[in-house]
Amino acid sequence: MAGKNAHEKRLGRQLLIILLPSMVLLLAFVIYPAIYSVYLSFTNEALTGVGAMNPHFVGTRNYERLFHDTAFLNSLMVTFLFVLGSAVIGQFALGLVSAIALKRQIRFRQVFSSLILLPNAAPEVVAGFMWISMLAGGEHATLSRIVQFFGISPADWLQTFPLSMIIIVNTWRGIATAMILLTAGLSTIPNEIYEAARMDGASPLQMFRRITLPLMMPTILLYMLISAVSTIAVFGLVYALTRGGPGGATELVSIYIYNQSFTAFQLGYGAAVAVIVLLISLALGVGYVKAMKVEI
Amino acid sequence: MLKRTLHASICAISVVVAISPAYAETIRIAEHRQARIDALKTVVPDIEKKYGVTIEIVEYPAPEKDYLTKLLTELGAGNAPDIFTAPRGQDVSDMVAAGYLAPMGTEVKGWDGYGQLFDVAKKLVTEKDGEIHVLPAMLSVQEIYYRKDLLEKAGISTEQPKTWKDLLDRAKEIKQKTGAYGLLFPAGITWGGGAFGEGFQYLIAGTSTPQLANEDGTLNLTSQGVKDALGFYADLINNDLMPTQPLLGPEPWVIPKYEMFPAGKLLVTTCGSWCYIYDWGSESKNPIPDVTKVVGTWTMPGEEGGEHVMVDVESGWAVNARSTDPDLAKKIVLELGSLKADTAYASRVGNIPGRKDAANDPDFQKLTALVQVLAGVEKGTFLRSAAGFSAVSEGVARATDALVRKQTDAAGAQKILVDYVKETLGDETVK
Repeated sequence: MAGKNAHEKRLGRQLLIILLPSMVLLLAFVIYPAIYSVYLSFTNEALTGVGAMNPHFVGTRNYERLFHDTAFLNSLMVTFLFVLGSAVIGQFALGLVSAIALKRQIRFRQVFSSLILLPNAAPEVVAGFMWISMLAGGEHATLSRIVQFFGISPADWLQTFPLSMIIIVNTWRGIATAMILLTAGLSTIPNEIYEAARMDGASPLQMFRRITLPLMMPTILLYMLISAVSTIAVFGLVYALTRGGPGGATELVSIYIYNQSFTAFQLGYGAAVAVIVLLISLALGVGYVKAMKVEI
Repeated sequence: MLKRTLHASICAISVVVAISPAYAETIRIAEHRQARIDALKTVVPDIEKKYGVTIEIVEYPAPEKDYLTKLLTELGAGNAPDIFTAPRGQDVSDMVAAGYLAPMGTEVKGWDGYGQLFDVAKKLVTEKDGEIHVLPAMLSVQEIYYRKDLLEKAGISTEQPKTWKDLLDRAKEIKQKTGAYGLLFPAGITWGGGAFGEGFQYLIAGTSTPQLANEDGTLNLTSQGVKDALGFYADLINNDLMPTQPLLGPEPWVIPKYEMFPAGKLLVTTCGSWCYIYDWGSESKNPIPDVTKVVGTWTMPGEEGGEHVMVDVESGWAVNARSTDPDLAKKIVLELGSLKADTAYASRVGNIPGRKDAANDPDFQKLTALVQVLAGVEKGTFLRSAAGFSAVSEGVARATDALVRKQTDAAGAQKILVDYVKETLGDETVK
């Protein structure tokens, strides 16, 4: 028994050593910045002016301000619509269709799979600039030239339909992640269940509704959690495309935080907004965990 | 084997440390925009030779807003270059209050070029206690620029407008007779400091309350003058006299200034002397042929009369308070205020040298568009700056943004400005 305990202790120490680098990185780049942001949110720290030289505690002033700030409330609404449109609907729907379609042995399956994965290869900002050439420039934009071919009038797409455009772009970029996760979920469903359902005369739609969706629910919920939280944090892609304009129409809360912290130079206020977003993300996580009935 | 490797490493390190004093000291200078970097490169070799120093030019993002963001972030972190520019006069007071800038009053006043500086340049940078933190090597001289050729073609008077009403009436006439927009005043959040520096300050300087900074350091934002200035914006926007859609997008100056004005779709705009070279000159994106002949200037009329030209420090050179060698950095900054440097920047960027003797410099005299502007510098007016002006600038951007989106009127815009500054700096800063 003493030998077994010594063995377990040694294993425990080895595990700690293996986990130590990850824990240090997590502490340095996630935990500490989050705690520091909470502290900052109660100060008037700024990047310039007196607030940069002598920041001091201002209590809940930043939080009181942000609940009256229409620009902040607008950014929350824009973010909600962005997450709903691109992550919950766009990426999920197209990712699921891709996962189901590519599960079959179709011709050029590998090619289609690669094409779907390709958007993820481009860095966010590069993808943003690429889409600018597609969407900006009025009649000179690539999309304008395409739609003119079909008799549709060109438009300055990023000015006229800004939110829709960024939803489309983010959907394009996120289909691969959805497809990979949902493919993994699909692979856990035994084929025998589908065979039995076919023998019972079930149609493809019935099999999808009664077998695929229910059995994939844990994967779907996990995907929704990851996708929603990561989409809330999208910044580079939309900033490169629109900088949050026109007139705040695409000012996601991440862009709002950047604008407050690094354009208006108010670090304390920006931190307060970031803390609220952190709380929203945490609430989302708790909600999904409860929905998944998973013990953590 | 390990011992031998260790000994070899120690010897190598010792040699490097021993000979390192033989390498020249490096001074890092931050600069942005290719035109400015090219201008700086013309004088760097002379400075390096004179002081036996290596100068490293650190290239920063091009748009001014992004340049200032990166610079302030690095100043806050303590790893900014030794020398940099403060983009506008309105940025300087806050950078001083933050402790980022090394005082240079003794050095600047003892410099042989100090006597050549325009009086207005000296006033712009000399603080109440006589200290100086930036060298006013270049000035921005801002007026109203108009398409003389197109106005004459349409039979519209090119006489100097006498009051705001005159200016608005002229803009309406332009819209009515030509269909083009009659006047642009930069506005909105995405224009950054331009809404204040290239728009609002023109107006406030011509009102009954021409200064925003009170003697006690508080900010006068509740005055009738501020409301009237925002009301002028409202009149322009509500009468569809200025293009508003581009002002809501990123880089809002591109379409109105680089496309609409050269194409004759916008006939009058505020601008600075740089427009003759950087915005519409032969090497610009959309050059206007014979620009000095077809583009004329008006001074800014006062609300009820009078006229003025806005003068401000343009990218004043400053030394990082945490520079590794501030004395050397200050010497180099004074070199950057030389005639050669001033002319190099003027020819590429279009701003005006802060020194009177530039008028006699043969190289500057070739810049005919700027020569006449230099002559009028001493008549310029300026807004006294104070700590908190960054918040005022952002507040003006937000107030004018709400006007552009037709969400409010002049009184509402003033409230947005006042509320923003109070929330950011405290209620006691606004009187």
